[in-house]
Amino acid sequence: MSRRRFMIMGINAAGAATGLLIAAPIVGDILSPVFYKSKQPWVMVADIRHVPVGVPTAYVVMLNDSGDAWQVPAVPRTVYVVKANLSNAVQLITLSNVCTHMQCDVHWDVNLQVFLCPCHGGLYSMIGTNIGGPPPQPLFRYQHKLVGTTLYVRNVLTEGQ
Amino acid sequence: MAEELERSVLVGRLTRPISGLMATTYRWVDERLGVTDLVHQLLYEAVPRRGAWAYSLGSATLILIVLQIVTGMFLLWTYVPSTTEAWLSLNFIEHHDEFAAIVRGMHLWGAYILFVVIGLHMVRTFVSGSYKKPRELNWIVGVVLFLLVLGLGITGAMLPWDQAAYWTATVVTHVVDYFPIFGTQLQEILRGGPQMGPATLTRFFAIHIWLLPALLVPLIGLHLILLRRHGEHGSWVNYEGVEEETEAERAERMARAEAPYPALPSDPGYAVPMDLDDFFPSQVFKDALVSFGLVLLIFIMAIVIGAPIERAANPAALNYVPTPEWFFLPLDQLLVQFPQAWMIPVGVFILPGIGTTLLILVPFLDRTPGRQPWRRPEVMVPALFVLLFLIFEAMLAVNRLFNL
Ligand code: HEM
Ligand code: HEM
Ligand code: FES
Repeated sequence: MSRRRFMIMGINAAGAATGLLIAAPIVGDILSPVFYKSKQPWVMVADIRHVPVGVPTAYVVMLNDSGDAWQVPAVPRTVYVVKANLSNAVQLITLSNVCTHMQCDVHWDVNLQVFLCPCHGGLYSMIGTNIGGPPPQPLFRYQHKLVGTTLYVRNVLTEGQ
Repeated sequence: MAEELERSVLVGRLTRPISGLMATTYRWVDERLGVTDLVHQLLYEAVPRRGAWAYSLGSATLILIVLQIVTGMFLLWTYVPSTTEAWLSLNFIEHHDEFAAIVRGMHLWGAYILFVVIGLHMVRTFVSGSYKKPRELNWIVGVVLFLLVLGLGITGAMLPWDQAAYWTATVVTHVVDYFPIFGTQLQEILRGGPQMGPATLTRFFAIHIWLLPALLVPLIGLHLILLRRHGEHGSWVNYEGVEEETEAERAERMARAEAPYPALPSDPGYAVPMDLDDFFPSQVFKDALVSFGLVLLIFIMAIVIGAPIERAANPAALNYVPTPEWFFLPLDQLLVQFPQAWMIPVGVFILPGIGTTLLILVPFLDRTPGRQPWRRPEVMVPALFVLLFLIFEAMLAVNRLFNL
């Protein structure tokens, strides 16, 4: 191997190695959110006795999710608490109001008796099933539990049916 | 020759030192830095004579991008890239700092006018077939510049972290969730976590003020190097009669060509415009007037209308109707027209992807010989349809959002 050839190989190798040293942590930095672990604490919503049957009722809860980096203060999110009268049994559902299409906030429209999404006109029934518009899935439901008559939810989503 | 002389006199006047001490200082600097040579190189150029006002669109685009960079730097005087303070800092500007509010207004209206001007520049170079041999790369680099500017527009719109910004950011970052296989991970990377949060804003801030400008500026340099290498093509009005020319006439024209012409490899007859003019002062004069008019318009809009700020971002608000920035209306409409799980990727990835690919490939798809738009119906008609489609989509979106 000639002297020049050796030096050219040296330049390429040093260049590649330098690039790698810089790129590796940056690529890791870019990808790291995928590996964040988040905690989902239970948060109090309301006394369940105040929720009327058949009227989705909005409560704002501070769903603090440590997956949201250094979020202070906690992000307010809306939980729709629904007491739905299904086949003569009242079922309690805690709906997320995040549209399953592009995640705009849906709201209960009293006149139309549907959940309406303002972004592209997605429509959902009282229990979150799809009625119209582009949303591909029913509204998600937050996991909930009752302690006495106090309702708690946490940011673990289950698919509605 | 006489013309040649006049040109160097003109350029010479620009660099002529004024008085004794200044003359000595200038000469000292010039001997070391070569300013005079540089000014000569930049200004002493031939450009096509006819249709020159239309060729001001490129330099206007350049000036407006410089305006964005300068106003952007001074927005950073006040703006705080944090979910708790971004809105507060801009709200402060709007209510307590009139001059900063003008700077902010100029950044917003500068962006709006920039989209119009870059669009017209694209239409102009398309209609005149400027992308043909040997200027294919001018066009391709241009398309990349266009995408970068769109990216700057959309990332900028997220920064105020008011309601409009928050929901723009939500929808834009959720679109990637529909990407096959890696969708969820892509969304987490863009948001800096599973949900919209503080890391979402810092990311898009970094992208807006550093990442995209760091790509944009050198690529503009490349666009201009290519321009200078091949010379301005201009449009068909500069090449009337080339097809009737005899070989001898053409050869003579090529021989008389001034730098940077002849542009080679070129279709026969199109290497040199019929009639040339000086870049300085003829073209620069028009460029200066057009850019002045646009900046004046931006200034007036910044004072009269300014940049609005809505209420602070509130993920729990139930009565807010998000509307996208006007330059994203056609894409927003595609979100409505391709509903349900399997169709959404068609609207958000496949159609825009096909559109962009076709745009990049324009120089290779257009195999027509001439430059006149009416002699190139194969490309003009489909392009017109695409343009009408985009306008139609935007109108549908406006109609939908107004009827809500
Ligand atoms: C950052 C954005 C851009 C800047 C600063 C810029 C700047 C310029 C300038 C100063 C010129 C020469 C004057 C003129 O013909 O107007 C030019 C020419 C040209 N530009 Fe751009 N441009 C930009 C974006 C684009 C885009 C989006 C396209 C098309 C997709 C494009 C395609 C071209 C072509 C093909 C020419 C050659 C025109 C000719 O020789 O006749 N440019 N550009
Ligand atoms: C082609 C280049 C650029 C375009 C098209 C652009 C566009 C925009 C837009 C549309 C906004 C939103 C304005 C609003 O809704 O109020 C914005 C905000 C902002 N931009 Fe840019 N920008 C560009 C370059 C830059 C650069 C280079 C910087 C920094 C050096 C910068 C700094 C900012 C800042 C700090 C904000 C937030 C303040 C505000 O919203 O008023 N921009 N930009
Ligand atoms: S985000 Fe709800 S319909 Fe598109």
